[in-house]
Amino acid sequence: MSCASGLLVVEDDPDLSGLMSMILGDAGYSVRVAENGAVALARVAEEMPGVILLDMRMPVMNGWEFAREFRARYGRAARIIVVTAAENARLRAQEIEADGWLEKPFELDAVLDAVASQLAASAAAAEPPA
Amino acid sequence: MEIVRAPNMLAPEQPGGGDAERGEIVRLGRRTALRIVVVYLLVGAAWVLFSDRVLATIVSDPAARDRLQTVKGASYVLATGALLYWLIVRARSHLAASELERRAVLDSIVDAIVVVDPSGTVVDLNAAAARLAGLSQRNGRGLPLAELLARGRFKHLDGRPLAVEDSATSRALQGETVGGFECTVQGPDGSTVFTHVSASPVYVQSGAAPHRAVAVIRDVTDVRRFEVAREEFLSTAAHELKTPLAVTKAYAQLMKRRGQGDPAALSVIERQTDRLARIVQQLLEVSRFRSGRGGELRRERFDLGDVADDVAQRMRRLTVDPVRVERSDAILVLADPDRIAQVMVNLVENAIRFSPLGGEVAIAVRRRATEAVVSVRDHGVGIPPERQDRVFERFYRAHAGTSQDYGGLGLGLDVSREIVARHGGRMWFESEPGQGSTFSFSLPIAEETAA
Repeated sequence: MSCASGLLVVEDDPDLSGLMSMILGDAGYSVRVAENGAVALARVAEEMPGVILLDMRMPVMNGWEFAREFRARYGRAARIIVVTAAENARLRAQEIEADGWLEKPFELDAVLDAVASQLAASAAAAEPPA
Repeated sequence: MEIVRAPNMLAPEQPGGGDAERGEIVRLGRRTALRIVVVYLLVGAAWVLFSDRVLATIVSDPAARDRLQTVKGASYVLATGALLYWLIVRARSHLAASELERRAVLDSIVDAIVVVDPSGTVVDLNAAAARLAGLSQRNGRGLPLAELLARGRFKHLDGRPLAVEDSATSRALQGETVGGFECTVQGPDGSTVFTHVSASPVYVQSGAAPHRAVAVIRDVTDVRRFEVAREEFLSTAAHELKTPLAVTKAYAQLMKRRGQGDPAALSVIERQTDRLARIVQQLLEVSRFRSGRGGELRRERFDLGDVADDVAQRMRRLTVDPVRVERSDAILVLADPDRIAQVMVNLVENAIRFSPLGGEVAIAVRRRATEAVVSVRDHGVGIPPERQDRVFERFYRAHAGTSQDYGGLGLGLDVSREIVARHGGRMWFESEPGQGSTFSFSLPIAEETAA
């Protein structure tokens, strides 16, 4: 079974989502962007990404609602990394049972590391037990 | 300044503090009664002694005198009867007036007041309390406290119904003075009312068990609503302020990575956005600590030395001289690693900021009895002795207005000390002008049991 390796950036600030797709694109990933949770669900329906980078505060459908809906529909089909300006990013991540978190403002290397390690973890999880 | 919970100034100092007053009231009552009786005896004696003699001189006929004697006796009884009646009515109406006044005062108090006897029966409640429980005052008296709690749907903040034995009032009956007990009540219109309850034992005799317990229940719904709104505001502010910083910083990093622009200039942009982000963080924390809530602590077991290494690593970009870490064996603490790292970052930043000529900054992690002590040492400008007392004050900047004013908001140490205090530790410093400063904080060491 092959593992989805595409990335989905869910972020309402176009400057930030543009930057994320540039930096992750530079690193060789295929990146799609959604400006809120509702659009993100549509993108997921088109194609399941490997990792979702999720902003929490967004109009229309925020990160909490998206995560709940996503888990209900697809379970743990993709890894979720919370990207938040909240004071305790780790706690926000725990609330929605995300796999990782990034605190704004972040280091670019931290974004790349987080994505790489989540993809590696999901690949390892998908490997059939020997 | 240690954060010590001051004793409640309003709490009764001593059970039965009113003993002397009670004695005074009883004595005053006795004296008044005695005065009335003495006057009565004098008037009576005068009447007995003189009335017959006066009658004898005025009326000479013995038969007429006898008749008059009877009339005199009857009128004496009537007059004293009337006098007694008047005295009793007067005393009663005084009592009734003071009772009415006391009632009116109690009923005019905005907070709900409930008085309970040792059997847990409500003996008195004011109008506000009756409204809160949805009863008439008359029906409220004699009701078991449990029934009152059930009628008012008293609940803990997490929604569990409040059991009688957990109520502040029951605890007060055990002799405890309870302040700041929080619970919710369902208001008469069905809405949830947030309340703050204080309860205290009532003693009429010192040394005895509480005679009553009195509870004051205050509606704090507005305060609560304001707190929720503020939390919401702080979280919006964090988002609105940090997102642009995140974008700016990331673009600077992107340009550097792609080899566009002057890398030195881009590093400055990065450094300055980091600085702004930290100030935003500090401001948010200060406003939160002010509210006494101060965000959540996520405690886990970790080695303080690892966090020190990590901080030293992160600080590398700020200074030419590396930040040295002195650590020996693992020192485990049960604390919030992000917060503790934040404290170290604050201290190291200060150390670097106040070392304009450079010089080594070291983080030392060591064990002292049951405490872990982290010290951040610099060889910078030091703090003048006359300013040392105020170093931990919020907004105080020891170097403000001097040639050594290197900026900052004066919040870092305040926030740091607050974080350390919330972990059960202390913070202190030693400083010698021209020699440098050492800021230290302690944390309780976690027992080395299985994690």
